[in-house]
Amino acid sequence: MKQFSIKRYYPIIVGLIVFAALSWGAAISCQIEWTGLFEGIGKGMFFLKNLFPPDWEAFPEMLQPALDSLILAFLGTFFGTLMAVVFAVLGAANIAHPIVRTISRFLIGLERSLPELFILLFLIAAFGLGSMPGIICLSLGCIGMLGKLLADAIEEIDSVLIQSLTAVGANKLQIIVFGIFPEILPKLLAYSLFRLEINIRLSVILGAVGAGGIGYELDYAFSMLQYHRAFSALLVVLVLIFGIEKLSAYLRNMLNIKANLK
Amino acid sequence: MKNPATILPSAQYKRKATIFSVLSIIVIGCCWFVEFNPFGFFSEFHFVQDLLSEMFPPNFEIIWDDNSMAMSILQTLSMAFLGTFYGGFVAIILSFLSATPTMPIVWIRNLTKFMLSLIRVIPSLVIILIFVIAVGPGAFAGVLTLVITTIGTFGKLFTETIDNTENPAGEAIFSVGSNRVQMIKYSIVPQILPSFISNLLYAFDINMRAAIGLGIFGGGGIGYKLHMAMRVLHYKDATALIALIIVLVTIVEKISNTLRKRII
Repeated sequence: MKQFSIKRYYPIIVGLIVFAALSWGAAISCQIEWTGLFEGIGKGMFFLKNLFPPDWEAFPEMLQPALDSLILAFLGTFFGTLMAVVFAVLGAANIAHPIVRTISRFLIGLERSLPELFILLFLIAAFGLGSMPGIICLSLGCIGMLGKLLADAIEEIDSVLIQSLTAVGANKLQIIVFGIFPEILPKLLAYSLFRLEINIRLSVILGAVGAGGIGYELDYAFSMLQYHRAFSALLVVLVLIFGIEKLSAYLRNMLNIKANLK
Repeated sequence: MKNPATILPSAQYKRKATIFSVLSIIVIGCCWFVEFNPFGFFSEFHFVQDLLSEMFPPNFEIIWDDNSMAMSILQTLSMAFLGTFYGGFVAIILSFLSATPTMPIVWIRNLTKFMLSLIRVIPSLVIILIFVIAVGPGAFAGVLTLVITTIGTFGKLFTETIDNTENPAGEAIFSVGSNRVQMIKYSIVPQILPSFISNLLYAFDINMRAAIGLGIFGGGGIGYKLHMAMRVLHYKDATALIALIIVLVTIVEKISNTLRKRII
């Protein structure tokens, strides 16, 4: 015999009602009109149809901006990783003075809470358009994520390692170079490869705001209503992102295998 | 006579030196190619100083004086919530369709996996450009963009979570004669539920930041306000808005972290 009791389902029902009410309220504050979406689907489809076919002749012109974006992401990740290591060492409890640690952790958290796009807007306001604010913005963006992950990784290091280095008379710098750096290197490489994937996406978006590169081409073609050209730019972007993702996954796999062999 | 092995550089040292020199050549070549001078940030720091002197002191009155400010904060929060809610909902459905233990039919699995990776690769910039054309600029276009990006990111993550569940429990339930739906209900759902909820909280955290960033491209909310303040060069207002954003993001992050720690 099946015993059905509505009481068992009270928490689920209450939860559903709360969520429905919340999403209803949120929909009002966002001025969502679902009828607008259905009309919009027609417009969007028409627009997507306009994209085809891609402008094949534009591809040679896209290579230079694509390379620019790639280099932007690479340099941003490189300099960002260097800065993140500094912040991470200063933000680790087993190396740094508690006051230094608090300040460093605060700066890392501050950076993480600020979207990269607005950092770029400020840098553009300071330095003008070009690849320089883009690279600086991507590097600063690394501090938040890599700094936190690496600082946590350093804090996880076995304290015996640091104690034994201190016992044989190593100073702070020697502890960092010979004790900590080799220990976090595999993690450092894996994290910065992961960050490279994020940065290549970001560099496309930042390009549209004013850092140049393929993102700028894409945004410009869209705003000039040259949809075929925009579609070729989009294809280049997809290839770029997909290629970097595969490369990064392959390299990270290799790192994993090496780390396991050790 | 000394042993040559102690005088000549060791193989390990040679490898390190090679890696270091190749890396520095690549970096210098890249810098030269895009005409970027890493020290330019310091030599031209006076630009930053000029900007900072214009930004401070922040004009906090704009937060209280502007009546639409509370509305745009609410709008940003709602965008993040709706993006997470609908995006997470669709992501959960798609993840069940693309994970091995829940979906026995191979071609459906491959199709949904392909769709998810396609969504993931398209940059959010393109998605919002398309939605702004489709439904007009405003918070609605932002919500739709967040829904799509959430599906892409978390669909894959959820699929991996389901794939990583332990099979023996499911096999035991199968062996006593249950069907696949019962197996999912009693073996898979209890295993994945905590991870799903904590990931959705994390998604809200991410979407909050993304919602602010989307404001630049016509997504509405507090990001749009900040973009406008920067565009008309009201840097003092912009500083106040940035302080507001930092406080908002930090509060959301703290809440989401506390809730996640409680669940796990």
